[in-house]
Amino acid sequence: MVDIPSIAASVSSLKQHLETHRYICSDQIATAVYLAYHLRKPVLIEGPPGVGKTELAKTTAEMFELPLIRLQCYEGLDEAKALYEWKYGKQLLYTQVLKQTLDEVLQGAKGFAESVKRLHEFGDIFFSEEFLEARPLLKALREERGCVLLIDEVDKSDHEFESLLLEILSDYQVSIPEIGTVKARHTPPLVFLTSNNTREISDALKRRCLHLYIPFPDIALEQRIVNARVPEIAPQLREQLVRFIHDLRELDLKKVPSISETIDWARTLLLLHADRLDSELVRNTMNVILKFQEDIESVQPELRSLTDKAVRS
Amino acid sequence: MDQLLTNFIRALRNADVRISTAETLDAFSTVQLVGYRDRQLLKDSLGLVLPKTPDEKAAFDTCFDQFFSFRERSPLPTSDEAPTADSAQPGNADAGGSGESQGQRTGQGEGANNSTQVAEGTSGAELLSGEMSAAQSALGQLLTRANTIEINMAISAAGQQVNVHEIELFTQKGVYTRRILEAMGHAELQQEIFTLTASDAIPDRHLAQDLGRRRDWLRERVRDHVEHQFLLHADVTGRRLRESLLRDLRLSTLEQRHHRLLQDLVQRMARKLVAAYSRRRKIFRRGQLHVPRTLRRNMKYDDAIFDLQWKSVKTDKPKVFAICDVSGSVANYARFMLMFLYSLEEVLPKVRSFAFSSDLGEVSDLFARNDIDDAIALALRQYGNGSTDYGQALADFRKLCLDDIDRRTTVIVLGDARNNYGDARTDVLKEIYDRARRVIWLNPEPRPMWNTGDSEMRHYSPYCHQVDECGTLTQLERVVSRLLQSQR
Repeated sequence: MVDIPSIAASVSSLKQHLETHRYICSDQIATAVYLAYHLRKPVLIEGPPGVGKTELAKTTAEMFELPLIRLQCYEGLDEAKALYEWKYGKQLLYTQVLKQTLDEVLQGAKGFAESVKRLHEFGDIFFSEEFLEARPLLKALREERGCVLLIDEVDKSDHEFESLLLEILSDYQVSIPEIGTVKARHTPPLVFLTSNNTREISDALKRRCLHLYIPFPDIALEQRIVNARVPEIAPQLREQLVRFIHDLRELDLKKVPSISETIDWARTLLLLHADRLDSELVRNTMNVILKFQEDIESVQPELRSLTDKAVRS
Repeated sequence: MDQLLTNFIRALRNADVRISTAETLDAFSTVQLVGYRDRQLLKDSLGLVLPKTPDEKAAFDTCFDQFFSFRERSPLPTSDEAPTADSAQPGNADAGGSGESQGQRTGQGEGANNSTQVAEGTSGAELLSGEMSAAQSALGQLLTRANTIEINMAISAAGQQVNVHEIELFTQKGVYTRRILEAMGHAELQQEIFTLTASDAIPDRHLAQDLGRRRDWLRERVRDHVEHQFLLHADVTGRRLRESLLRDLRLSTLEQRHHRLLQDLVQRMARKLVAAYSRRRKIFRRGQLHVPRTLRRNMKYDDAIFDLQWKSVKTDKPKVFAICDVSGSVANYARFMLMFLYSLEEVLPKVRSFAFSSDLGEVSDLFARNDIDDAIALALRQYGNGSTDYGQALADFRKLCLDDIDRRTTVIVLGDARNNYGDARTDVLKEIYDRARRVIWLNPEPRPMWNTGDSEMRHYSPYCHQVDECGTLTQLERVVSRLLQSQR
């Protein structure tokens, strides 16, 4: 078991620990985790796809050795899928099984009113915790040691779902009509929300969160990231490919290559036993970094000059 | 320290970063946690708590740098004998502090001023250096004493006197700097330096040089002070005023430099409309019990009906076709209407746009690929040249996508209908009119101008469900809002 408070004692220690888990980050990102831990506030992470938004939550969970509970958002996600649901099947089965007992209970009861009264004495057994199917959000609140809750791509969900999140994010509790309010066990979860900005997140949600924007890293940082993820790659090739990717990001593309593409590319080149970039190699592996035919075609004519530039400088 | 943070938040709000009270409280607990000692840490931390969009983050960065400028202030130039202890005062003592608790300082400041004048008779006679004469003017003495705190208080007091907190525009910075200097007795100092320079005695000239250096230092100080006050107090009122004017200004008369502000305005208006109409849509989603599906879904529960399924009404996703005249006279209006329509993506997901001056072409792709600003510029460049020909444009439109127009389509035509006396081709418009749900003609010209000269409004309007004037943003907003209503 790791000692969480000592890891989270300072920003630099957090950064160091994240690095030992192969997540290389800027000070700002480490500060976000630091504040999230100490202020117990959720973090809303925005940025272009593939810069490591989801990865940050995963690594944090790994670092603190806490369970990671992940909720993937999509259009139409509702409370039954995100929060809780009653186990209808179980309820039904139990009523069937208990029919006998029920008959005994109701024996001698005269009239409808008295039967109902007797039933009432047994309380709302069927709507108690045993019949509650916990979905990710509720599960996260019930984790004994706390956990990392990742609400992925929150921008894909509907407005209604966002409002549903508000209670959890600000008070770490949910209200279930039949049972009452469920509060987080003594350590509330660390919450990360990610968004690709396909739509504007409401102000109410933003207000409750720390807002972290992760941009593309600079060349030095990206080199370190590649080094951490693909340590086998030759330093010379690493420098060249990172420079190439950075030049590519300057171009007008439909989808610019992100860090995950850089890493994939590094792995590909490693597999091909390359030790330096040349335009033929780049041409053949283009589809690893560019995901649209249009983009590939528009880069094609400039390939040679781009490669030369990356190799030479 | 709390005062410092409050002031900073105030400056941020002035810089258009929206900060709620809850966030202010968060900022306080953040500062409690990280402290003021590590500047970068403080910046990173507050940057996570306060600004919530990339734009706001940029504003935050500049604001933070300006506000917490621990810029090494050049220490007050000292002559050899002048006490150096005070001038080594750390710069940050007044970096944020000069704006804070002004009222409290006024009293002190004036007190200090008075005491300076009282002291003139006695300590003024005391010679600072064998080779240097003593300064005569009050300000000169204050400066030679080189007590940073005292000088700061004098600056604050002078600022209070000239109402520096009423500063509104950045162009006023110079004026206020001068006024503060004057209130501090800059003129007398200047005069003294002048006479001393002209003097024959060497000690006098020494003093003149020394005072000159101190004067320059003071000017810088005062400028910083004004800058600070500007950050704290300025711009909000000016901006509001400009915005309310812009709303009702004719769009064609707008200058390039207002576009940025106007864009914000359009975006904000659009967001309001989105908020209003997306809530509306939810009501339409509610339906009746969907019996077949409920039975099917509940088979696994032995036909006991637990999981109810509702008929949901498919929301009619409205289709909007916008045909925009982008020739010189109307281009500006087209710009803002397109901006409006594309800002409404959430409630109007299917907008197709067409641009023409003589020939017409679809520009939806441009908007899908570029951000609104670039797309509009591209569209204008591609189709903006050539004399207006509505007949040709309508014919082109018919050829391009008449088949796509159905009962759910709203066609918006934006143009002044000035056809250069060409063939109006009203028959095409009639065809569109017959197929579409609504045809709306927006004319940026004021109503009395319609039907004059080569305007064909008279001939087009019978084939439109609605004809409107849209010269200003307010009118445009009204039209779009009505468009959203009619979608139900």
